[in-house]
Amino acid sequence: MMLSSILVLLITNPAGILTEMISASTKALNLCLQLCAIYAVWLGILQLVDASGLSEKLAKLLRPFIKWLFRVDDVETQKAIALNLSANILGLGNAATPMGINAMQKLDDGTGTANFAMIMLIVVNATSIQLLPTTIIGLRTSAGSTNPADIIFPTLITTFITTALGIVLVKAIDKIKERKNEQS
Amino acid sequence: MNNLNAILLPIIFLSVFVYCIIKKVNTYDNFVKGAKGAISLVVEIFPYIASILIAVALLRLSGITAFLTKMFSPFFNLLGIPTELCELVMLRPFTGSGGYGILENIFKTYGADSYISRCACVIMGCSETIFYVATIYISKTKVKRLLYAIPVALFCSFVGTIVACLVCKVF
Repeated sequence: MMLSSILVLLITNPAGILTEMISASTKALNLCLQLCAIYAVWLGILQLVDASGLSEKLAKLLRPFIKWLFRVDDVETQKAIALNLSANILGLGNAATPMGINAMQKLDDGTGTANFAMIMLIVVNATSIQLLPTTIIGLRTSAGSTNPADIIFPTLITTFITTALGIVLVKAIDKIKERKNEQS
Repeated sequence: MNNLNAILLPIIFLSVFVYCIIKKVNTYDNFVKGAKGAISLVVEIFPYIASILIAVALLRLSGITAFLTKMFSPFFNLLGIPTELCELVMLRPFTGSGGYGILENIFKTYGADSYISRCACVIMGCSETIFYVATIYISKTKVKRLLYAIPVALFCSFVGTIVACLVCKVF
């Protein structure tokens, strides 16, 4: 991506390349400062949620749903998935990653091919069931929005539709595959 | 609806704090501990944000973005996605942190409360960095083949984009 743009620029605007790169990286630094502020607030709250035992409660609440969705019975695996989903629900995608890796390791069956639960976890994460888009609200606040939280409701509707669609598709494809296996 | 949205976050904060006091958890120490994690998280994602913003800036300067946008926008417009959002939609599966950078650009160009910005927010909120998530998540497993996971995820994301643009028109 960078290579092709530099090639084009070599012909059209060689003087602008470095200036543009440095100005973009300055922008990145500013953005990171803002993100740091947002994360400080939310990770602080998240730590409180964790320390007070609320996250355990949340995981327990999600457990029946996880059992149905991922078809896993192992309690530790369920907990790992629950924590991953909870961080996603709170809109902290970056914080959800370590928990997702953890859950994947527990789901791995060593065959080299992704199983049903793994595919489901990737799709559910990709459509990112998100109840509180916290980072985005934070960025909107610093951009001077008058009502930064007014995207919560539209996000809820959209995320609900895409996640439902993802679950239905994965379940449907899995059924078709099962049927094919039975036939052959 | 807007009022409800505005008081939702304070209520959540309040209930967490009250719950912590009931459970006799040291709120200050724990909050500090959590907030500390923000620094390392940002240090970790800065290189990605910087790289992607540099790449986007170069793409833009070279005119490749304009060319791609011009090529795809009729198709996107047909589905109700404004031309201004093409860049975000095309780059979103590849970069999460970079997506925030593009979002910032959109805020600055169109204003944080504009239709374009609100659409962009919802698109960011209901999608993920599919390629990044898929790579990182299986990085510590033996899995080499993801089968249909990526196509399904991409398809759902794209449907989400269309829905987002529709929903933002209504609300």
